[in-house]
Amino acid sequence: MASLRGASSISFKAGEATLPRPFSIDRFLGPRGRRNLTAYLFLAPGFLVFATFMLYPLAKAIQISFYHWELMPDRTSRFVGLSNYAAVLHDPISWVALRNTVLYAIGTVPTQILLGLIVAILLDSIWRLRVFFRTLYYIPVITSWVVVSILFKYIFSSDAGLANYVLHDVLHILPGYVGWLQDVPTALFVIGLLGVWKGVGWSMLIFLAALQSIPKEMREAAAVDGAGPIRSYTSVILPIMWPVVLFVLVLLVIGSFNVFISVYLMTAGGPVHQTEVLLSYMYHQAFDYLDFGFGAALSNLLAVLIVGLSLLQIRFLRREVDY
Amino acid sequence: MGRTFGKLVTLLLGLVLLGAACSQGASSSTVTVTFWHGYNPDETKVFNEKVVAAFQQSHPNIKIDAQAVPYDAFHKKLLTAIAGGQAPDLIRADIIWVPEFADLGALVALDTAMPDFAAVSGKTFPGPLSTNQFKGHYYGLPLDTNTRVLLWNKTMYQAAGIAGPPKTVDEFTAAVAKLSNGKDKFGYAEGGTGGWNFLPWLWTFGGNVTDANVTKASGYLNGPESVAALQWFANLYQTKQSGPSVLGGDPHTDVGYAKDVYGNVLDGPWMVPIFKGQYPNKTVELAIVPAGKGGSSSVVGGEDIVLFKQSQHKTEAMEFMRFMLSKQTQVTMGNVGQMPVLSELAGSPDLPAYFSVFQEQLKTAKARTPSPAWPKIDDAIGTAVTLALKGQATPQKALDQAATTIDGLLKGS
Repeated sequence: MASLRGASSISFKAGEATLPRPFSIDRFLGPRGRRNLTAYLFLAPGFLVFATFMLYPLAKAIQISFYHWELMPDRTSRFVGLSNYAAVLHDPISWVALRNTVLYAIGTVPTQILLGLIVAILLDSIWRLRVFFRTLYYIPVITSWVVVSILFKYIFSSDAGLANYVLHDVLHILPGYVGWLQDVPTALFVIGLLGVWKGVGWSMLIFLAALQSIPKEMREAAAVDGAGPIRSYTSVILPIMWPVVLFVLVLLVIGSFNVFISVYLMTAGGPVHQTEVLLSYMYHQAFDYLDFGFGAALSNLLAVLIVGLSLLQIRFLRREVDY
Repeated sequence: MGRTFGKLVTLLLGLVLLGAACSQGASSSTVTVTFWHGYNPDETKVFNEKVVAAFQQSHPNIKIDAQAVPYDAFHKKLLTAIAGGQAPDLIRADIIWVPEFADLGALVALDTAMPDFAAVSGKTFPGPLSTNQFKGHYYGLPLDTNTRVLLWNKTMYQAAGIAGPPKTVDEFTAAVAKLSNGKDKFGYAEGGTGGWNFLPWLWTFGGNVTDANVTKASGYLNGPESVAALQWFANLYQTKQSGPSVLGGDPHTDVGYAKDVYGNVLDGPWMVPIFKGQYPNKTVELAIVPAGKGGSSSVVGGEDIVLFKQSQHKTEAMEFMRFMLSKQTQVTMGNVGQMPVLSELAGSPDLPAYFSVFQEQLKTAKARTPSPAWPKIDDAIGTAVTLALKGQATPQKALDQAATTIDGLLKGS
């Protein structure tokens, strides 16, 4: 940065001293302004994309939520104030969807953190084949939600799907075939299972990176002080990793509140909307019932909820790490 | 989350734009007319190879860009396209969507826009034509018609020692009991709980969804006949005489019928060619729905061809509509299970013989509630039926609730 600044001011002075000055943007902006302009120009393409695909839709969603929104571009939408928000809050299915979303978060987030941590610790302690296993655990993360949702739908088919076949025909644990996706508790279980299976690899990878960045001396010092393997994790390594755990927690909670594709493809919110989550119900209202105002209001409430939850987590769970 | 919602809309719009961009590849002298249809793969093959090809031959300046959109995705994909100003020129719309899209202001009123509308529409059956009517105008032309009849499983009937298809609901109930073993054989199977699935029985039992003027459901959908129908329907499921497919379980009705798991199903004319292709050893036996207090009834299905206001090539699109209603096209599509709507083709030897059962059923089949709020009405019926089947509400209570919901929907529209 320093050399850049020097170079720019030198050329400025040189230009001033010799020739009749040609047009120079520097004269208007000064050296600092020029530097800023360069930065802004570099930022512009990224910001443009962000504005087009994030800010504009966000603003639009807020606008739509206050209207009885007409789908046809040539019709005028009617301003209805907060009545879409009232409709969301008075709709019993909204609360069912909220309940299911919260259940999904409670069921999948701690499980993913715990399993991710265990797998990361195991991987950290081996040297051979580490890359192989790391890749193996990460594969579900990069596969398509659509593909694995449909796959899970087949596995948990009410007929002789793989799950029923193994649990009933092979192991004889179940007395008969189970309609996994036709009943609310089992359907929510399958949806959660998919979430965990697909998500563990991601938290594993982050935890593994954190583990590997911990200086060897810390572990050695713990060992010298007489800490066994378990004690060294609980007293030394985990506290150091706490910011990473918090980071994973916040992102997983956000992710779990945004669960959509798996629910939409496996149960479509059925039977009778009882497995609906917030986003699937939003989609249902907007695209099946054409009630875009309701959908937008619901998604805005979800956004507020997620921001609130994230702030609360950061506020109450943040610990300063000193070492 | 607002962002996700926005992303979703943007993504979908993007896809639509991409589709539109791809479809503009033709040279400038030809005009491209986009047509979305929900034909199944076999029908699509015949449609592309025979119908579109023939049209292309006689109309070299009009290119038909036909897209097979799966039925389940059709409604949503179309809404997104309309909202983005990128609607196709024409679609083959389920008859039940026409009031909804007309109410939305998306469709061209053909009776005013099409110069020869009276001549073209005059050649069609009045029943299917009436499905295009909304608030005094016609927003489309009928394309094909159908209804559901009883597909009885001869192999299972013979094994159970039952001579032939039941003629009354009582005979049917007895047959279903005989065909079920309480384990892996079911006398009957339905593919869902919505209006399309349940209403044939509701009407057969003498019930109704609304009054004749479609102003209210209370007293009709929860009347004694309707409740009796649901009671009977739920009892079959709860006593394992009706298969798991009704609540989305497996096997699906067609697979279960082919594998002799299901003794009876209700289905449409397109199933006969599908069975011929997929299960060549299984013959499909057809009969009209067994008669109850309300006679033998069923549900009218079918598709209309509608033109969108956003279309840039309305004249050319109308030319294709006329072609779709030509005798030649109607016979071609008839042979893959799409029942024609031209009155001159009634009983035509060029059409499959099995259509006669469907034509017989169509005489008494009824239409689903013609209302822009149909998707929500359908949802309310499906909810009531599901609750009753699962034993979470009595049929009376479930239908009371649905009737109240539908009353509100009819008032709101």
